[in-house]
Amino acid sequence: MSDPLETQALSLATRDVLETMFFIEVLSETDEPPQGSPGTLEARLRFAGERSGEFRIWLTAEAARSIATNFLGLDDENAIRDSQVGEVAAELANIICGSALSRLSCDRAFDLSHPEVGPPADDARTWSDAASRTFDLGNGWLTTILRFEHA
Amino acid sequence: MGFRLLIADDSAAMRQVIRRVIELSGFEVDEFLEAADGDDALRLLRSEPIDVILTDINMPNINGEQLLCSMQQEDLLRAKPVIVVSTDATEHRIHRMLALGAKGYITKPFYPEALRQELERVLGVENE
Repeated sequence: MSDPLETQALSLATRDVLETMFFIEVLSETDEPPQGSPGTLEARLRFAGERSGEFRIWLTAEAARSIATNFLGLDDENAIRDSQVGEVAAELANIICGSALSRLSCDRAFDLSHPEVGPPADDARTWSDAASRTFDLGNGWLTTILRFEHA
Repeated sequence: MGFRLLIADDSAAMRQVIRRVIELSGFEVDEFLEAADGDDALRLLRSEPIDVILTDINMPNINGEQLLCSMQQEDLLRAKPVIVVSTDATEHRIHRMLALGAKGYITKPFYPEALRQELERVLGVENE
C-alpha cells in the first residue's frame, strides 16, 4: 500500500513538469495499477539521500514521440530520431523524480542516478507497494512510479 | 549587446531546451557554448570569453559541485557568474551550491520568464 502523500507529490510533480516544460495538458489521471506492454518505453533511475529508492516512467510510443517533439520545439513529429525520444524520456524521468522528491523532503538533498532507457523490465505486480499514477495525454499514456526502500 | 553563455549539462536534449527557452524569453545572447560535463566546461572557460554559466549538478567526470570548486581555485574563473539548473529544490542543496560560489539557482521545471529573470538578476542587467 502506497503512502497518500507520496502519491499526491507524484501527481502534482508530473502535472507541473508536463505543463511547464513539455507544454502538455493532462486530460485525466488514474490510480489504476501501472502496466507495461509491448511498445512501451521505460526510463528508470535510482535516488539516494535521506531515503533511497527507485523511480520509473512508462510511455506509450505515441506519447513518447509527442512529448519529445514538444520538448525539443520541433514542428514535425516524424522528423525526430529514436535517440532523441530516448534522451527526452530520460530527462522527463529525471525532472519528475527530482520535483516529486523535492516536494517530499524540503530539508535534505538527494542524488539521482543517470536514467536508463529501454523496454519495461518488470511485471506490473512487483509495483503494488509503490506510489503510481497513470496520465491520459490525449495521444498516449504516461505512468509514473515512485518506490522508497524500507530501512 | 548580448552575452556569451555556456550551458553545461550531460543531456543534449536539456541543453537544446535551455537554449530554446532563453531564446523564447527574449534574453539577448550573442553566442551559446555547450559542454557535456564539468571537464568540458572548464576547458571552454579557460579558452573562451564567457559571461555566464548555466550548469547542471549531476554530470559525469566533473559534476556541478566540482566545477564550482575548480572555478573558485582559479583567479581568472572565480568571478564568473554561475547559475545552477537542477531538479533538486531542497534547501540543503541550494544553500550548498550557493556556498560553493554559485550566484543563482533555478529548479526544473521552470518557465522561460523565470530563467530570464535569474539571468538578469545575476548579471545585473535589464536585458530588453
